[in-house]
Amino acid sequence: MAQQLGFWIDQQYCTGCKACQVACKDKHDLPLGVTWRRVVEYSGGSWSTDPAAGTFAPNVFTYYTSISCNHCDDPICVAVCPTTAMHKGADGIVSVDPAKCVGCRFCEWACPYSAPQFDPTAGVMTKCDLCADELAEGRDPACVAACPSRVLHYGEIADLRAEHGDRADVAPLPDPSITRPNLVITPHRHAEPTDAGTGTITNPEEI
Amino acid sequence: MPVGELPLVLFTLLTQMSVGSFVALGAVHVLARRRYPAATVDRLSDPALYAIGPVMVAALAVSLLHLGNPVNLLNVLNNLGSSWLSREILLGCAFTALGAAFALCQWRRWLTPGVRQAVAAVTAVVGLVFVWASAQVYLIPTVPAWDTWTTPVAFLATTFLLGCLAVGAAFVVAASVRTRRAAAQGARPEAEAEVDAMLRSSLRGIGLTAIAVLAVELLVLPAWLLGLANDGSPAATAAAAALTAGGWLHLRLVLAVLGGGVLALFLYRAAAAGGRRLLLVTAGSAFVLVLVAETVGRVQFFESYARIGI
Ligand code: SF4
Ligand code: SF4
Repeated sequence: MAQQLGFWIDQQYCTGCKACQVACKDKHDLPLGVTWRRVVEYSGGSWSTDPAAGTFAPNVFTYYTSISCNHCDDPICVAVCPTTAMHKGADGIVSVDPAKCVGCRFCEWACPYSAPQFDPTAGVMTKCDLCADELAEGRDPACVAACPSRVLHYGEIADLRAEHGDRADVAPLPDPSITRPNLVITPHRHAEPTDAGTGTITNPEEI
Repeated sequence: MPVGELPLVLFTLLTQMSVGSFVALGAVHVLARRRYPAATVDRLSDPALYAIGPVMVAALAVSLLHLGNPVNLLNVLNNLGSSWLSREILLGCAFTALGAAFALCQWRRWLTPGVRQAVAAVTAVVGLVFVWASAQVYLIPTVPAWDTWTTPVAFLATTFLLGCLAVGAAFVVAASVRTRRAAAQGARPEAEAEVDAMLRSSLRGIGLTAIAVLAVELLVLPAWLLGLANDGSPAATAAAAALTAGGWLHLRLVLAVLGGGVLALFLYRAAAAGGRRLLLVTAGSAFVLVLVAETVGRVQFFESYARIGI
């Protein structure tokens, strides 16, 4: 069994097609308003001036970040949960037990990745469990399997970090020291650092 | 001003008012006992004491409306090891249970006054720790508007301000009921003289305390806003924008200064020689104005929720 699973996203080649998002939604049959995996579009720009030529050139960027739950090492969702419904289990997967959850939504308030999502019909929290059922059958998680650009991967986080580095400090993601996400990002060439504040999320209604 | 978190607004306000009232009653009791016999002091403070329990129970009940799945309610004490929400609920229940035990002993005159006072002291301390734990719940590192020292200070200020003015209002209401009843029974009004003197000195103390706590609030509020303005993160900026939108912040300030400042000062002055009616109107309206101000403030606190990240 894996020690701690995590995701690796090769942001350079993500086209923002959202196949992962839709595959997740379909596989788990998620209700309206609940989207465990979301693709954040982050855009910004400025002008660079060339005083000699008297010209202005636009400097714009847009890149995508596919995010679900990062099954963090310091899961703030687990820390604040009064019922222990939110817990870190086998393979380091953080999941919620609906038989314990009281629906107080504290985990949703606290998680800086918007991973826990409330199901108003059931009255309980729901979230990504890294497709534990698929893993048990030896298959890839639905999102990973669906990515047509092959830029979304999962695996033992130690191996992913050894191969692809240890960056998760890319805007608009929060400072990774807060929850220590098991997430590796190969940054887009225009990727801005966390908190640079140079861009905005252009699809907030989808996040 | 949307009020999505109304159950939590009511829960935090009413529990803080209950704890504050209990502490204020305790202070009145301790100070008054230096000059008056226990029986006289009890006549002034007991009616107010009995009002706290129902408010506290109502607050706990209303908090259930916040839950999506109250069926699993008993699980909320599972995570005392790391969740402040678990600890808050435990302490809130402990305060309610201790307060109920104390009120029962007080009513039946069980135990000696000394033991009763010790129970009351423990209850008051548990209540204050409970308010402090309530504030810890909101110190979420990913929510800049909540994760600041101003949250516990503001919660405690609300506790003392609402508590002392609620006790003041309860005193004057109970006193006027008592006077009316005494008149109907043809009792000698002089019998009430001692209680009346005690009422007046309590109201003076309450007026001064309210002014002092209001001063703290008036320092904390700008410190909070300044902190948000200096933070610079999108979440802090969104929180500051939410706080300054509409005229709510101004409304809160005006009402708080009117109730906890102007009327409290007037109460302090009038308590010396003013008529009972005047005291009733002053203490009552000071409480109502501050209650409205604190409600607006608490709704705004929940409105200021904005998380870092995505
Ligand atoms: S991403 Fe959010 S929900 Fe997932 S483990 Fe981290 S803090 Fe918890
Ligand atoms: S909503 Fe459920 S999982 Fe989330 S903190 Fe509350 S009890 Fe825990």
